[in-house]
Amino acid sequence: MPFLDILQLSLRNLREAKLRATLTTMGVIVGVAVIVTMVSFGLGLQRNTVERFKALDLFNELTVYGQSVANLAMSRSGGNQNTNRVDENGRRQRPLLPNSKPATRILDEAAVAEIETIPGVVYVEPVIVFTPFVRSNGRVFTELVAGASVPNESSRFKEFAAGSMISSSDAAEVVVTEQWTQSFGYEKPADALGKTLEFLAPPEKKKDEREEEKDSGASFFGIPLDEEESGEDAGKDALVARSFRIVGVLKEQKGQQGGGFRGLTANASIFVSLKAARDWTTEYRNPMTEVALELARSQGAIDEKQAEGFVSATVRVTDPVVLTNVRTRLTELGFQSFSIMDQLEQLRTVFLIINATLGLLGGISLLVASFGIANTMIMSILERTREIGIMKAIGAEDGEIRLIFFVEAAVIGFVGGVIGVLTAWGIDGLSNRLAYRYILKPQNASYVDFFYIPSYLWLGAIAFAVLVSIIAALYPASRAARIDPVKALRHD
Amino acid sequence: MSTQVEHSNLHPSALSSHPLIGAREVAKIYRMGQTEVAALDHVSMGVDEGEFVAIQGTSGSGKSTLLNLLGGLDRPTSGEVIFDGRSLAPFSKKEMARYRRRSVGMIFQGFNLIMTMTAVENVRLALAFGGLRGRERDARAEELLARVGLEGRLDHRPAELSGGEQQRVSIARALANRPRVLLADEPTGNLDSTRAHEILGLLRAMVDRDRLTVIMVTHDQELAASFADRIIFMKDGKIIERNAEVRSN
Ligand SMILES: Nc1ncnc2c1ncn2[C@@H]1O[C@H](COP(=O)(O)OP(=O)(O)OP(=O)(O)O)[C@@H](O)[C@H]1O
Ligand SMILES: [Mg+2]
Repeated sequence: MPFLDILQLSLRNLREAKLRATLTTMGVIVGVAVIVTMVSFGLGLQRNTVERFKALDLFNELTVYGQSVANLAMSRSGGNQNTNRVDENGRRQRPLLPNSKPATRILDEAAVAEIETIPGVVYVEPVIVFTPFVRSNGRVFTELVAGASVPNESSRFKEFAAGSMISSSDAAEVVVTEQWTQSFGYEKPADALGKTLEFLAPPEKKKDEREEEKDSGASFFGIPLDEEESGEDAGKDALVARSFRIVGVLKEQKGQQGGGFRGLTANASIFVSLKAARDWTTEYRNPMTEVALELARSQGAIDEKQAEGFVSATVRVTDPVVLTNVRTRLTELGFQSFSIMDQLEQLRTVFLIINATLGLLGGISLLVASFGIANTMIMSILERTREIGIMKAIGAEDGEIRLIFFVEAAVIGFVGGVIGVLTAWGIDGLSNRLAYRYILKPQNASYVDFFYIPSYLWLGAIAFAVLVSIIAALYPASRAARIDPVKALRHD
Repeated sequence: MSTQVEHSNLHPSALSSHPLIGAREVAKIYRMGQTEVAALDHVSMGVDEGEFVAIQGTSGSGKSTLLNLLGGLDRPTSGEVIFDGRSLAPFSKKEMARYRRRSVGMIFQGFNLIMTMTAVENVRLALAFGGLRGRERDARAEELLARVGLEGRLDHRPAELSGGEQQRVSIARALANRPRVLLADEPTGNLDSTRAHEILGLLRAMVDRDRLTVIMVTHDQELAASFADRIIFMKDGKIIERNAEVRSN
């Protein structure tokens, strides 16, 4: 018998017992709705958490570390590799990197270019940080300045309180943070726009550079560098070394305490173009770096022409998915890398457990529904014994009888599944709206979608409902197939 | 009718050693707790192609049991049912279903139509199990119902039909997949004499015209005598008289 005829027979049987079929389907609807609502809540929680991290570029950025010259020099002269190196400000030079081999290559321009060719890498932004004396609006403080690639697609430069991003890498322009405008006495962020910002350096000794770059780890986990020096004596007789125009004020991230970092790069308060940053650091070299470079050269660790390279660089990838591949490649190339992804594996496990628990609760309600299906099937078989006998007498095979009941159950499962998914969708929408109206809005918070129904969830829920229904029909269907036509047809 | 006479003249049981359908030493024993009921006690019989045979006997003599075995609805405890020279004994369940679908058609006293389906749907169902589909199936269902004189009752449900009409629907259904044998268990038991004659006349005509083979269980001596070629008498699960030639007129 063609399957279409089987389907027709099944649908007819369901139509003949409309009320019963409807009630049975209700059971499935409730089960599926509970599963989908529960799991979509778990997934929504997970998504909202992960999105938060994603918005901070923690998933599409990683930090790559090269071998430092200081390290090279010290290792050659018998220095302990494992000494906790401390820079002149007393901060630890780099974070502990578990499960990561120390870098064996210097992160110089050539290396940056090579990393840029790794598939999935959008750009590599060497971390260049320095703390010059900065003068603007008549005040002078030392500030942490960082170089940024221009243009820049990092979320760090997405939102401006006023103005916009540095227009080109050659422009003498800076972007500052909202906090910076406050410490420099600008009333509103917009007041700083177009104003001049100067880096100061001693006139007699041009090569006195305050500080070579800090590595990102320190500034990112450490305290932001705005130890202010009292404006009165500092910078009085200083000469202006560089002058910039303030073109943008970065918006402070809402809900993020402590100034808030974005991505893996340093928490600077002033950003210049990468080129400008590089120019500054070449001109005002850090004497300590000079020493380390000389040591390394004299010991033959690096050759005469080789520069010390960057301590670290931020690598932006196209997609979090390629992160692992890029990191593997970096290790092969001899660099050390760090990504927040490692820390998030734990979080994923937690969500897996939460979602499994929620799914299980829903699964129990579907299990209850499956007993309903089995009961309905058995009832209808008792009612239709004669009919089944007739079908067998006119040549129906056992398999065909069984299939009729399976299809009936599958239809109940499918219809229940679809309506259940729609119900869950409705419940989710309603809950979001109620939560917004009565919880979020009174607190001036913005709308949040607490639920997430990915296609695999609703497709899976429907498939699961069909599967459970068919399993529930296993016994009734085989019982129907076993009906003895002689007994079924005996007239009363 | 001349055809009937003609047919009786070349009565096959005398000529042929190869009946179309038959039983060889068939026994059917029902076990009820401790006691055993022998519904059939080593019955052997055969019916030739184009023959109309009536089975008569007292209540409980095993007539229905024999018919169900011949129709492949059940299997004998021992012995074998033979159709077209082949034993049904080695048939699998699937082959038995195919046998019921293709080789034999059955009609019953209670008609056994599906009450929720119309006349044409009942016939179509049998055609569907036979593997026919689409327009071909619809056309054949209507043709079958026309053959039993029900072209005006296609969309009536059994409850909207008279007993005689219901039995005609079940005949149309039984003949759906062109079986060679029609097995009828008291087909006129629920009908008055006039309707009974109509139904049996219809079957007789099919025997004569299409060489259909009919085995009919009946209580009615008069009906058996006027429509069957031969009557088999049963008692206590045994055949007591097998060659009662009734239609030699
Ligand atoms: N399923 C069964 N279980 C037990 N005994 C049965 C069963 N079916 C039939 N019998 C017994 O087998 C015997 C023959 O039954 P069968 O139905 O063949 O008789 P019958 O000749 O058709 O009778 P009737 O003229 O009343 O229809 C009876 O004694 C009956 O009680
Ligand atoms: Mg009987």
